[in-house]
Amino acid sequence: MTVTEIAATSTAAEVRRAPRRRTAHRGAIAFFVVPFGVLFALFFVLPVGYAVVQSLYVMERADMFSPAREVFGGLTQYGYVFSDGPFWRSVGRVLLFGVVQVPVMLGLALLTALLLDSGLVKAGRFFRLAFFMPYAVPGVVAAIMWGFLYSPNLSPFTALTKSVDLLSADVVLWAMANVVTWVYVGYNMIIIYSYLLSIPTEIYEAARLDGAGPVRIAWSIKIPLVMPALVLTTVFSIIGTLQLLAEPQVFRSFSSAVSSTYTPNLTVYSTSSIPNFNLAAAFSVVLALATFALSFGFLKLTQRKGLR
Amino acid sequence: MKRSVGIVLTSVLALAGCSSGGDDAASGDTATSACAPSTGQVELTFTSWIPGIEEVVKVWNDKNPNIQVKVQTGPNGNGGTYQNFFNQLKAGNAPDLGQIEYDTLPSFRVQDGLANLAACDIVTGAKDKFVDWTWNQVTFGRQDSVYGIPQDAGPMALFYRADLFKQNNIAVPTTWAEYATAAEKVKAAGGYITNFSQSDVNQFAGLAWQAGGRWFGNDGSQWTVDFSDAKTTQVADYWQDLIGRKLVSTVPPWTTEWDNAYNTGQAWTWVSAVWGANSIATGAPTTKGKWAVAPMPQWNAGDKSAGNWGGSSTAIFKSSKHPYEAAQFALWLNTSDEALTLLNQKANLYPATKAGATLPALTTGVDFYGGQKIYEVFAEASAQVSPDFVWGPLMTKTYADTADGFKAAVSGQGTLAEALKTAQSSTVQAMKSQAIPVKE
Repeated sequence: MTVTEIAATSTAAEVRRAPRRRTAHRGAIAFFVVPFGVLFALFFVLPVGYAVVQSLYVMERADMFSPAREVFGGLTQYGYVFSDGPFWRSVGRVLLFGVVQVPVMLGLALLTALLLDSGLVKAGRFFRLAFFMPYAVPGVVAAIMWGFLYSPNLSPFTALTKSVDLLSADVVLWAMANVVTWVYVGYNMIIIYSYLLSIPTEIYEAARLDGAGPVRIAWSIKIPLVMPALVLTTVFSIIGTLQLLAEPQVFRSFSSAVSSTYTPNLTVYSTSSIPNFNLAAAFSVVLALATFALSFGFLKLTQRKGLR
Repeated sequence: MKRSVGIVLTSVLALAGCSSGGDDAASGDTATSACAPSTGQVELTFTSWIPGIEEVVKVWNDKNPNIQVKVQTGPNGNGGTYQNFFNQLKAGNAPDLGQIEYDTLPSFRVQDGLANLAACDIVTGAKDKFVDWTWNQVTFGRQDSVYGIPQDAGPMALFYRADLFKQNNIAVPTTWAEYATAAEKVKAAGGYITNFSQSDVNQFAGLAWQAGGRWFGNDGSQWTVDFSDAKTTQVADYWQDLIGRKLVSTVPPWTTEWDNAYNTGQAWTWVSAVWGANSIATGAPTTKGKWAVAPMPQWNAGDKSAGNWGGSSTAIFKSSKHPYEAAQFALWLNTSDEALTLLNQKANLYPATKAGATLPALTTGVDFYGGQKIYEVFAEASAQVSPDFVWGPLMTKTYADTADGFKAAVSGQGTLAEALKTAQSSTVQAMKSQAIPVKE
């Protein structure tokens, strides 16, 4: 009885106080949102908008050496983008890369996360850190290090690298896939693992009572329940794949097989160093739209399947 | 020499101020930047990638309290500094002065990033100090324009392992035909005569330059582009043959693997510029005393012509507020005995001045090359460099596309000659997309 009374009073009090509280909230909301909003506008909306605007302009010159003027050119730059063979070949290349590398990487991440979570591994804390370590190595440094390991004459594994040229045209894409996998398995593992920790242990208990072994629990309970984490890491990986830059940029100096337009982002980089900022902006916008479409498409697909 | 520079500077101080503007309706320039001295203390910024440049600038700063130069170093031009310059020009925060190689000056000129120093009497007055072809590179062969102060030249010669050639009884080649024959003998002895540097397109340009190839031209109203003239094709086919017969290695240049090829005696020669003396000494330290330098092999026995690879100018960006002081510094850096001697000691730079060849530092033997007076070979080569080689307006693009094609060619896809054709059409396309007038 008394409990209800108290509840009633407090509700009444809340109702009475409600308008004042809303004003207080407004300040708080502004306090928390404005810094984000400002940074978001400054470092996201503005640059993206600037790139879009840039991509709509073309150069015009009166003659050979007179200063160039930027004039509105509509979709001219996009015309160049869509007729650029090497660019679309590079898009095909990163898609192929992603189709193979993302499942392998996430498969490994899932496997290691499940092993750590199974309790079968001694010194789990050590392995968790050990797997995560490569992510702390800057991408460029990782690429240089692997470049040395792949090097035909200087590698510590010359027995292998002398017989198989890991930097040749046929193999170098997968040599880079290996670098990316090495760097990101631990990172993705941590995301999946923390998701596993949030699963209530009662579910496992129930499963064990029903006679399920560790493998069955992993397959029928853990994997379905970490699906949201897998979806998230897949989206991150799709974005990362389409935006590959550091690895091909570093490998470009080691390997004859990596051209200045090897990945879409490398094309953007090379174009801006011509310098042709307008065309580089158009490439970036197309790449951003493709990335958005692919990650959003993947999310929609998984939602329809009821994975989220 | 030092005194004469001082006299030039003082007399020019008196003359300055009267110089400004310039009649250049013909070139279509809207205005030539004025070149008047500033008052009070001036601070200049200068970006360069010459090893040891800080110490050279310090000498200037100690002597010129009123014109202090702050030096920033970065990666070599195509390695990132040019990209930084282009970005800085776009953002409006370019340094006052920057190191720009001759091949990239037209690119900055086309982007309208450089100050025209033709209005500076101190600059135009220094014309006769410089080797003719280097002056041509900064003026683009025109009377009314000077877009940089020549710094160094990269006359090419043949670096070779004197010890290995002698041990194996192979004559040092004087023609390219002999070079190919020597390549077979070197291969038989277990080495490679050289490494074909697939991404050093500017080295290849130097080889084409020697042969008489001319990649670009401009008649003042439009550019012509031709990477597949008979001479260039001859050079391309020559190297394609050596690559095809596996007489040269194809390790990517400027990598540890490449250094290793020279350090371990796998590669026996390098057709390179004078500054390459420094690259060998730092990249292949264990071969000290075993190298020598000979003139570049010739296409016809008895010819005397050399190519050029690299060489920089000190350019002043259009946005600089102190072009006069910047020009003063650039002239000191590139014509004074003390600066040229230091630049040679630190980075083996070979001066672009006529008097530079007689500097004591450039007339003595070099230990790394067994005491040979190597600069005498380069002095001779410098005089043999043809003055009329013109660089294009989008060399970054040209180099990247040609390197892509060369890299494919050494991996067995296509040939060097085909790569040049492809690069030519993509360069023309890139010029058109930036509205740069080009003849098809």
